[in-house]
Amino acid sequence: MNLPMDPARPASLTRREVLSLGAMLPLASLAPHGLRAWVPDGPVRCLVVLELEGGNDGLNTVVPTEDPVYARLRPRLGAVRKGSLPVADGFALHGALKSLHRLHRLHGEQRAALVHSVGYPDPDRSHFRSRDIWHAADPRLQRVGASTTGWLGRAADQLAAGGSSVPALAVGSLQVPLALRARSALVPSLERIEDFQLQPVERTQAGRDALAPVLGGGSGDAAGWVGDMAARAAGLGEQLRRSLASYRPAVEYPQTKLGRELQLVAQVVGAGFGTRFFHVSLGGFDTHARQLPAHAALMAQLDGALGAFVADLAAAKALDTTAVLVHSEFGRRTAENQSQGTDHGAAAPVFVLGGGVLPGPHGTPPDLTDLDDGDVRPTTDFRSVYGALLAWAGVDAAAVLGADAPAPLGGLLG
Amino acid sequence: MGVAAEGQVSLLAPWVPSAADPFDLRKAGHLLRRAGFGGSLRQRRELVRSGVDAAVRSLFPAADQPAVDRAQLDAVVSLGDIDRVRSWRVLLALESTAPLRVRMSALWHDHFATSNQKVLDPRAMALQQAMFDEKGLGTFDELLLGVAQDPAMLRWLDNDVNVSGRPNENFARELFELFALGRGTYSEVDVREAARAFTGWHVRDGRFFFAKRLHDDGQKVLFGRSGGFGGEEVVRAVVEREESARHVARCLLECFVHPEPTEEEVGALATCYREQRRHLGDTLAVLLRSQLFFSARAYRSRIRSPADWVVGTVRTLGATAAPTDLSRAMGQLGELWLEPPSVEGWPRERQWLTEATWLLRTNFVADLLAGRRGKFAPAAESLFGNLKRPADRAKAALLMVVDGDASEDGRQALERLAAGPAAAGPDGAAVLLHAACCLPEAQLL
Repeated sequence: MNLPMDPARPASLTRREVLSLGAMLPLASLAPHGLRAWVPDGPVRCLVVLELEGGNDGLNTVVPTEDPVYARLRPRLGAVRKGSLPVADGFALHGALKSLHRLHRLHGEQRAALVHSVGYPDPDRSHFRSRDIWHAADPRLQRVGASTTGWLGRAADQLAAGGSSVPALAVGSLQVPLALRARSALVPSLERIEDFQLQPVERTQAGRDALAPVLGGGSGDAAGWVGDMAARAAGLGEQLRRSLASYRPAVEYPQTKLGRELQLVAQVVGAGFGTRFFHVSLGGFDTHARQLPAHAALMAQLDGALGAFVADLAAAKALDTTAVLVHSEFGRRTAENQSQGTDHGAAAPVFVLGGGVLPGPHGTPPDLTDLDDGDVRPTTDFRSVYGALLAWAGVDAAAVLGADAPAPLGGLLG
Repeated sequence: MGVAAEGQVSLLAPWVPSAADPFDLRKAGHLLRRAGFGGSLRQRRELVRSGVDAAVRSLFPAADQPAVDRAQLDAVVSLGDIDRVRSWRVLLALESTAPLRVRMSALWHDHFATSNQKVLDPRAMALQQAMFDEKGLGTFDELLLGVAQDPAMLRWLDNDVNVSGRPNENFARELFELFALGRGTYSEVDVREAARAFTGWHVRDGRFFFAKRLHDDGQKVLFGRSGGFGGEEVVRAVVEREESARHVARCLLECFVHPEPTEEEVGALATCYREQRRHLGDTLAVLLRSQLFFSARAYRSRIRSPADWVVGTVRTLGATAAPTDLSRAMGQLGELWLEPPSVEGWPRERQWLTEATWLLRTNFVADLLAGRRGKFAPAAESLFGNLKRPADRAKAALLMVVDGDASEDGRQALERLAAGPAAAGPDGAAVLLHAACCLPEAQLL
């Protein structure tokens, strides 16, 4: 993205501008928590979590190309070895992961790392429970309740206490995923910038102002909750629109759902809006049947969007302050099924990208001769990966993950 | 009979209107929103006049009314276009004379969530909806068997590749976890054995087909009992379990009463459901007439889904709108019918509403009223008749949109807006109705 050169139009709003903007908006005063204007004083570190929904096949993403057991377990799906891109220790990336491969091999300034066999003890093979466990960062979670929060939501709560108005953002989906569910922090979701503004019957500032007193009313639990939401929404729409007005991407993103969503993340990161945690997802990984072509297409979409995103951040000098985690709720059964697909499994590799990653290897590669009920044994707890990311981002990891969580994974980020 | 049991009986006892708690516009609005997709002020007033018994009865399909209009279904299916199927469903929600049937089909579509993203067969998706129309108010036994033999479902959860010796557990697992029992009420062994029982339940020529040679007819152990079970036996064993009655009761309570039912409420409705021989229509006839349904606890305790917002607002305003456009608007708000995000169904309650979706919702209504989504008819002004005084117009807008029931702050804000310059222009009526739709109460179901 190109930073605007005209000194009269600063890249981000100054604290004073935001405050005066807040004062301009009659809506803001209606929100009980107020529209707390907050702009960071220096560069802040951001986390972008990209979730591969449905259970990504780890063994066909980071392929043990020289392992004879793999060949035996995957008589048909093992075809993925052809064209795969070698990394280290007999492993190769799926052939469509060209950008990731390049970022992984950059000499002296590696931008991508992989951590092998990430999971949690006593793996659950239900999509929903396993996803909930990853999102809440709680392997003992039984059922998501009204008060269940997510790991990024709790991290956002720490920042919200420090005054950030929008510490976290769900991108691409209009729903806020459990990972971002917070106790007190405001976590909006965003699909397209232009939708994020009040457009009344008469599209004028006067039309917007006339509505303001109606929005925040409402008594009682549910109506009060909606009223607060409405008042914040109208105020935030105005704030966001102004802070993004001057941005252009430095690279062309692929015209895919994920490409558009990561571009939106890059815009918000570059705008200096103060948002620190982002959640994006890509669905379709539940490949029970006829897996090879579907998985290859997903890998290509993932790689194209990630490659553009990293290049865009690098051009904006924001890569050093951004880390991306790519994970899934579980890997898949090591043996292929009879439908040329794979069923739900356990541990799988995760990717970490960004300026701060350190050369691996990280974690313990899967041992296909020592399986847990047909699945890869988890040897690195996902919370230790979370811990490393949170600590790097300057968040109190123990407060987010709990005192009994395993220690942050050392040597992953510096 | 113990105290707890008496309490359960009274929860579902018929509600008796009184002078202090009459069957009024608020109650009629509640009934129409929950058991259908809302209704115009005229419809709500008619219900109030008819009294609560007739009002509840009017939502059920008439005995001689066919559940599915075959000619219409054939026309929808012949085009092979999923958008056409969606529009058909939205049209039914807008105009059906049996609102409860459409409400139940929408509920089952969420409960047995199947997406065309994978099925890739608009005809099969349409037939699944028609199956919900036909069986959605019958017994749960027949509904569940219908689901287990539904071509779209068989494809969606890979049962079409579930064959003897190579069982695929996808359908069996969701049958237990999401559809009929709930987590923690079965074992992994049960999942594996049920998957074997469903082997050979396939699709041929677009219909359910039992591939006998691909079926595993060996002995299975299910819930601790052994036998040579097939799919029918699994469905029967599931619906007869106590946990299934509670699972179904919870599902109905979450839709019709309160998003977080109490254990007592679940127990009471599960008992009622068993007494009604698992007949959903008969169970709902009790529930929708009950004290619980008309209680303060149930009233406005839910958040509108996008369908409730989009279709409900159009019906509430008595407006006309193009189903294709409404279905697109619902999709933008996160509820694209026939493409739920996963087998778990759509988000629910407060998950629907964020700053972003609140803006999209209110912008949708503004666009609708301003004619930016096509001509708004009848004209907004005509909805106000001859009313000229700002206070009267504000009151009318409140009656139309929120049954006249808003907070004092909201009421005063609306009156001020009605008396101000924004409501004095040529689009004044639209501005006033939009403002009423911006009230927090308008988002509640």
